[in-house]
Amino acid sequence: MSFIFNHFIKFIAGVGEALFFLLDVVKYIILGRIRWSEVLKQIFEQGIQSVVIICLTSMASGAVLALQSYVMLNRFGSKELVAQLVALSLVRELSPVFSSFVFTGKVGARITAELGTMKVNDQLTATRAMGVDPVEFLVVPRMVACFLVLPGLVVLSEVVGIWGGYMVGVYSAGISSSTYIHQTLSAVGMVDFFSGFTKTFLFALLISWVACYQGFKTSGGSLGVGQYTTKAVALSYILVVVSNVFVTKIILVFWG
Amino acid sequence: MIKVNKLFKQFGSQVVLNEISFEIKPGELLVILGESGSGKSVLLQHLIGLIKPDHGVVEIEGRDITKLRESDLLRVRRDMGYLFQDGALYDFMTVYENAAFPLREHTRLKRKDIKTKVLDILKMVDLKGAEGKFPSQLSGGMRKRAALARAVIMDSKILFCDEPTSGLDPIKSRNIMDLINTIVRKLKCTTVIASHDIINSLRIADRLILIRQGQIVAAGTPAELRSSKDAYLQEFFN
Ligand SMILES: Nc1ncnc2c1ncn2[C@@H]1O[C@H](COP(=O)(O)OP(=O)(O)O)[C@@H](O)[C@H]1O
Ligand SMILES: [Mg+2]
Repeated sequence: MSFIFNHFIKFIAGVGEALFFLLDVVKYIILGRIRWSEVLKQIFEQGIQSVVIICLTSMASGAVLALQSYVMLNRFGSKELVAQLVALSLVRELSPVFSSFVFTGKVGARITAELGTMKVNDQLTATRAMGVDPVEFLVVPRMVACFLVLPGLVVLSEVVGIWGGYMVGVYSAGISSSTYIHQTLSAVGMVDFFSGFTKTFLFALLISWVACYQGFKTSGGSLGVGQYTTKAVALSYILVVVSNVFVTKIILVFWG
Repeated sequence: MIKVNKLFKQFGSQVVLNEISFEIKPGELLVILGESGSGKSVLLQHLIGLIKPDHGVVEIEGRDITKLRESDLLRVRRDMGYLFQDGALYDFMTVYENAAFPLREHTRLKRKDIKTKVLDILKMVDLKGAEGKFPSQLSGGMRKRAALARAVIMDSKILFCDEPTSGLDPIKSRNIMDLINTIVRKLKCTTVIASHDIINSLRIADRLILIRQGQIVAAGTPAELRSSKDAYLQEFFN
């Protein structure tokens, strides 16, 4: 009993600490103390790092969605609806969530490993010793960059995914190109787009927060870097899937 | 002037600093001796406010820094240099960028002036030609010298060095200690070095203190320490 209680206390303390960490970040952003040259460097690195794999996964998802939905929709004689199904699935759910997973694996993991290595090699302490707050110097630019990069990647993923569906729909299912495009455009409304797009900001926040915080908490040498990196990735996955359920519910209540 | 008074720190149930008190005069070179695990690094980090004590006082120029918030401490630390045990250079920056970092952060010097200053210091620590190298491309001794350059680039009046000779062979150990000695005498720095390298420490120190189990067990000038009855010290002298 006291064992569970102790764990519960530890958990609460951990969450509190993580919140203070985030508050520190927010403080610098509000004060406008954002190092834009660092942000640009990060945007570049994060973008380059994940763009290819995001395109690949999105194109494959779009294509597979089209293949599967064609099988079903064709039975009802409404194969042109494939376009709508692909576009809506991608825009409302799949692109935001899948891109976040890829982003976690590529960018989140790298951030934790980078900051974790700096932590165990005293580079974070050295930053403080030189009179610079490591949160301002290292965390703020990374988090701001994530916040800008992930939504961009999600839009890219939606476009590429729809194109993947188009290829299958037009060249394999025999839907005419103009029908496919028309169906796609008429299906995706602003609400559909924004109900998916809004989430990506939440995911970007969660992923970058977890990654930076776990990096800062890393201890135990190179072994620790590995452990904390895996932990950050697992935690990000969980937070993305679970929070997705709740925001989806909220968004549906307001936007339908 | 640095004054440490009854500094106490424990981690869990382990008491690392047990009400330790001593003073460092301006321009003095003090060495903190102690076996590995005796709390030298912990003590040194207290002196620059990287660790908060459980109780006790660290007074720098008449100001108790243990009471300051981190944001104020950041400002205080700009006027101090700290050489970390393994250098703690940024591994994503070149030697040049590492050495220039404090100047870029805290001064409004022009690019050209920064360059002059950094190249000067790098020459002083014998790293001429290594400006463009990354820390991973340097030997242990070079890394320490690069870190030393970064620690003194602000012309701070106070310098802390944690185990400057650890991991180096006897000749390199001797060289880096002599280098620190030369530089701090030239800059008239108040210097505190944590070390377990007794022989080299005795050569350059004005005064030394030996800590064990959180307390000072011997203190004095090199000559005084040589005549100390402490068994650990005697082992080295005989
Ligand atoms: N953050 C910490 N948490 C717990 N114990 C610590 C921490 N930092 C240092 N210690 C302990 O304090 C003691 C002194 O460490 P340290 O100052 O690094 O020794 P030294 O530098 O003399 O080799 C060691 O036993 C170490 O395990
Ligand atoms: Mg040490």
